[in-house]
Amino acid sequence: MNTRVRFSVGLLGLGLILALLPLSGSRSFTVKPEKLLSEVLDNSIYFTVDQVAKFIVSEDSSVQIIDLRTPGEFRTVNIPGSINVPYSKLLDNDPGSFLNNGKAINIFYSNGDFDSNYAIAIARGLNFDNTYVMKGGLNEWFNTVMNSNFTGERISARENALFETRTRAKRMFNEMNSMPDSLKIKFIQSKHLAIKKLDGGCE
Amino acid sequence: MEDVSRRQKAVGKRQKAKDKKQESQMELIKKYRLVIIVVLPILILVLIRSSGLNHFKNDAKKWAESSVKQSNIMTIEQVVSPSGKNLIINLDKEVSQISKLTGDVQNIQADSILSKKHVNLIMSHDGPVLLFSLDPGLSAKIWMILSQLGCRNIYILTNSADNEVFKYKFRPDTLLN
Repeated sequence: MNTRVRFSVGLLGLGLILALLPLSGSRSFTVKPEKLLSEVLDNSIYFTVDQVAKFIVSEDSSVQIIDLRTPGEFRTVNIPGSINVPYSKLLDNDPGSFLNNGKAINIFYSNGDFDSNYAIAIARGLNFDNTYVMKGGLNEWFNTVMNSNFTGERISARENALFETRTRAKRMFNEMNSMPDSLKIKFIQSKHLAIKKLDGGCE
Repeated sequence: MEDVSRRQKAVGKRQKAKDKKQESQMELIKKYRLVIIVVLPILILVLIRSSGLNHFKNDAKKWAESSVKQSNIMTIEQVVSPSGKNLIINLDKEVSQISKLTGDVQNIQADSILSKKHVNLIMSHDGPVLLFSLDPGLSAKIWMILSQLGCRNIYILTNSADNEVFKYKFRPDTLLN
């Protein structure tokens, strides 16, 4: 048998192996099922709406909030500073393009609990450990933050701080979502600029 | 005597032919030694990797598609209809009202869903497998993991199909503009 035939047989074998190979890491989950299960069952993947409100009020730059709803829903109402990556488009492009951009924390939210929990299972399955979920979604945000109300006579320092954070987040949410679409982006930029100016201190 | 010697000759001939065949086979193996040494171990590794449930091997997008279309969600009303072979898995620690439903109800806690016994039960079930939890997020996560492992005909059973519907109306504050 000459070399050419041997080479052809070897090539055929390799071709068969390639055909049988599992899909590449970017398309199929890379984390082992047991590890993924224990990660997603851990409550540390969740942030409460109050914790998210605190991130927004403090304008924490290490946090990226990802809105998984449709572009139409996002335009109507969204959490200040969030970016829109519809759940249906999550795997269309490389998720690393928005999950690997130097943010320590990426928080998914949708209207309820389904889409954000699908998204975290996908993101953690693809080995993006910096992904989290806002528990309860936008419905819980409205229920807790937007409809927050204090009715008692006495308020503890902790309750007061919580109520103040909710009120400030609510104000930011109202300011942001009451604007025309074209102004929403400019609004966020101007807020950052105003803070930078304030940071200047005494001269 | 002649018969015996003829038989012995025939046996000897057959043996020689057999030996020749073996020799040629050995030669062939020797010729392809390099190809076999390279290809065979890779093939074995690929086969090991391609089978078994120790890893995900499916196209993540393809297997998540029904969650985008929301065709993976079933309501209790849909299940109550006498469709027959439903396997209902209660993922909660508590035995809930779901046990009253028609079909086979199994109480399997979420953290043990990937045990060999439970995966085999799900895979071998001939009919829809319905995951139920009072926490819709829990069923969603387990559904995604099982789907990506290649479990077909698996659904989320929920008593609130409108979980992903925005339930509030935002009124813009026009005084701010």
